[in-house]
Amino acid sequence: MFERFTRDARDSVTRAQDIARSTGAGRIGAEHVLLGAAAQPGSVAARSLDRLGIAPASLAESVRALGPDVLDAEALARVGVDLESVRTQVEATFGPGALDAAAASPTGRLALDPTAKKLLELALREAIRFTTNRIDTGHLLLAAARLDGTSAAKALAWFGHDRAAVEQAVVATWADGERE
Amino acid sequence: MSDDTLMTAAGDDPAEGLRAVRSLRVLADRLEALQVERARRLGWPWQLIADALGVSRQAVHKKYGKRFR
Repeated sequence: MFERFTRDARDSVTRAQDIARSTGAGRIGAEHVLLGAAAQPGSVAARSLDRLGIAPASLAESVRALGPDVLDAEALARVGVDLESVRTQVEATFGPGALDAAAASPTGRLALDPTAKKLLELALREAIRFTTNRIDTGHLLLAAARLDGTSAAKALAWFGHDRAAVEQAVVATWADGERE
Repeated sequence: MSDDTLMTAAGDDPAEGLRAVRSLRVLADRLEALQVERARRLGWPWQLIADALGVSRQAVHKKYGKRFR
């Protein structure tokens, strides 16, 4: 399926793996593909997000906040565990940032999870809808916005832009002749 | 503290309680990885680490053998 992807779209998936690994996710999710596309400088996705006023770093931040591997300080406090004091103790022994660095970091290739597969499938459908043979990062972004219930779609929604707004931005980027 | 706050504190909301359980697991996993790595660096054999964790030597080696040698 990747032969129809633009270079930026393919690189997004590769980058998604690095992002997933660095956050200790253990698998590639739709949110990592979204962040991979956003992190490709000058890509249709990056330019469209820029139109929406979303910087790659803040998108990454909102994904992290929605992610499954978060240590929920509030929930822990309700069972009497003070995450900050745990962090302080751990860092005193193991060094600064040790608690976050200890997130499992598997080596080797990570698999695409069902949400990531769904995203790629939806990107293909978006390409068909816009009658093009090539799948670019704009299609990846449109697909992410369509993935209701995933942290990819939630991260986008978090900035107050619905699916229609995302589509408008992508179409405007394409109309500017910015292709990959 | 209002009645509402008290109920939440007692773990009355399953969503909140489940999130806490999940976070505790993540926390325990991370602490385990840190401690196992340190023990290995200090020269502890896998068997000793396994005994301390209350699991089999195979289990601990399978989980960390590649990461921490």
